[in-house]
Amino acid sequence: MVLQEHNATPPDAGRAWPATLATVVAAVMLAGCAGAMRQYDSELGNTMALAQGGQIDAALKKLDENNTGAEPDLLYHLEKGELLRMKGAIAESRDTWLRADETVRAWEDIAKTDPQRIFSEAGAYLVNDKTRRYDGQDYEKVLLSTRLALDHVLLGDWDLARIEVKKMHEREAVIAELRAKEIEDAQAKGEENNVTTTFKDLNGYPVELLEDPAVTELRNGYQSAVGHYVAGFVYEALGEPSLAAAGYRQAIELRPGITLLESGLADLERRGARPVPDMTDVLLIVEAGVAPAWKSISIPLPVPTSKGMIVISTSFPVIRAISEDVSLPVSRLAGAQVEVVPVTDIDVQARRALKDQMPGIVVRTVIRAIAKGALQAETQRHDKTGLLSLATMIASVVTEQADERSWRSLPSLIGIARLSLPHGTHTLQVGGGTHPITVGGRHALVMVKDLDGYVTVAQSPVPAAAEVFSEAVPAPVEAPPVAQTSKPVKKTKPAPTKKAKSSEKSQEKSMESAK
Amino acid sequence: MTNIRNYKNAGLALLVPFVLAACQTTGPVVPSSGNVQYGDSKAVETVTTDYGSTDLQTMAEAMARSLSTSAPITRARRTPVLTVQEVKNKTGEYIDTRAITDTIRSQLLKGGGIAFATDEAGMQGQVDELTRQNQSGLYKKSTTKKIGNMVGADYRLEGSIISIVKRAGDIKDVYYKLSLQLINIESGLIEWADEKDIRKTAKR
Repeated sequence: MVLQEHNATPPDAGRAWPATLATVVAAVMLAGCAGAMRQYDSELGNTMALAQGGQIDAALKKLDENNTGAEPDLLYHLEKGELLRMKGAIAESRDTWLRADETVRAWEDIAKTDPQRIFSEAGAYLVNDKTRRYDGQDYEKVLLSTRLALDHVLLGDWDLARIEVKKMHEREAVIAELRAKEIEDAQAKGEENNVTTTFKDLNGYPVELLEDPAVTELRNGYQSAVGHYVAGFVYEALGEPSLAAAGYRQAIELRPGITLLESGLADLERRGARPVPDMTDVLLIVEAGVAPAWKSISIPLPVPTSKGMIVISTSFPVIRAISEDVSLPVSRLAGAQVEVVPVTDIDVQARRALKDQMPGIVVRTVIRAIAKGALQAETQRHDKTGLLSLATMIASVVTEQADERSWRSLPSLIGIARLSLPHGTHTLQVGGGTHPITVGGRHALVMVKDLDGYVTVAQSPVPAAAEVFSEAVPAPVEAPPVAQTSKPVKKTKPAPTKKAKSSEKSQEKSMESAK
Repeated sequence: MTNIRNYKNAGLALLVPFVLAACQTTGPVVPSSGNVQYGDSKAVETVTTDYGSTDLQTMAEAMARSLSTSAPITRARRTPVLTVQEVKNKTGEYIDTRAITDTIRSQLLKGGGIAFATDEAGMQGQVDELTRQNQSGLYKKSTTKKIGNMVGADYRLEGSIISIVKRAGDIKDVYYKLSLQLINIESGLIEWADEKDIRKTAKR
């Protein structure tokens, strides 16, 4: 791959080289210290290792130690909210995520009114993508709303959950509009700079990770079947079948062919018209693993300059699954085995998000490589000692790292089950431990998170005066969410298994085995 | 001279409220740093092809007009009682169909000649209130509303909304159709039905 078609040297490169050099150095000094040099993958790896061992307080402490800046950023709030939920501190988790949501809503306002501001953050062109303010991956923004909705349900506030669910689908509409404009913007910038390179042209880039059928079959990288199924469930619980239908339908369209999702819509009318007395409609959500890591891969790119071809070290993000083998834990509830169906694979979703971002990333990186090539050529021409040339080359290599930041404490795989349980207390067996689950009223949510054998369970509180005609004066009953943890227990009999680097075949197979 | 001055003052007194009224319609305005302004809630909205406020208003108004002039309503010997059932959302969009039926109901009630019985969505609140009045012991017997006197509806209003979305290149075409029907609860006969469709096309 040779970038012969590109505008090799800016017309006034010779005159402007000191200014360009100063700009790059300044950018490195200003941005490099914090953003460009931050190794988020290893940083979060340590935190998550503690969480996987059940040391949630230590993990929270580690997270705080790694975020000592004056103003904690979006990632800090995302990770902290997840750790607090694992700890069973649902209210604190909700409050932390609401702070993250403030950042995302500010981003949404810009996306709606001034999308160009998002596309043209100059820092990314001069140094690297890590210098951009982290606004969250699109799928993270959407999942934040879903997880906030689940927190509200776990705290017994279905009306607030409805607000988050509505925000989720409105957020998706903003993202869809913005990304369509971004593609046009990347195309225009590519044409303007004669960049015709695509990620498939990058020698050494693991193209197969993005060309996996499981990735290409997804509608996009930000919508999740679990998010829309939860939306359907919340609307249904609030007696709004017209909106519930839309949620279930979206879930089916995102993951076609899954019977559980289809029955959510097909049985909606029946469930609303003929509720079974003294029975609770329970949504069980089971999560396993941790989200994949975004890593940086270096690819040398030959660029034309006034002094001939120069090889510039560039970097591109790749997504590597943390674990080769993630499975949803086997669950038994009320004495019967529960079929938990995997519906959302964050690993695949993240790769789809990256695939959709790659055109923009490639254009930015190639433009940056050309600028660096021109700078190196000019430096060599003016530098008698060779020291400045060396410094420029080192700065060029050191600052060239793809953005590794992502919400890493998210699960890797999310599955759901839907079952009808008699009012009362039942035993949930999961991951080798048992947990009492008490249900009442029409609808309930039970959430299970399995982090490499460390299992946490939370459930929505039993509502007071749940039945029509049953209470003369409804009296609120304090029923705090149950959040229990069990000691780390290794699973003995894994349920539907998915290979993290799975092909379409293995994905389908895992879905089939779960049915 | 005094009279002229009085007329001038009276004229000024009359003029000032008009001038002030023209400047402010809803009271003092709190200055804001953002570019926030009120718009016409009835203005045609074409921001995206998604279901929007204009679609809601257009569909509800058309249906209310059609229903209010239908035979079951105009030829009824006594005020017909309707109950509104859920309009099924068969689109892939999150459309709150209750907002459509709420608007239809408001417009029909404004026109008079129709009464609405408590629908399924409002039943829990109605039952709770009756139960509270009758079983809590907090209310005067003379003002307590008796259980068993709710009025049953003569008709039920039900329907569905569908959409067909097509994309080709940079063109997106969306077609919405709202269908409503009025069913005589006793006989099961459909005595009125109507449809309102909307097409929206956008080019990127």
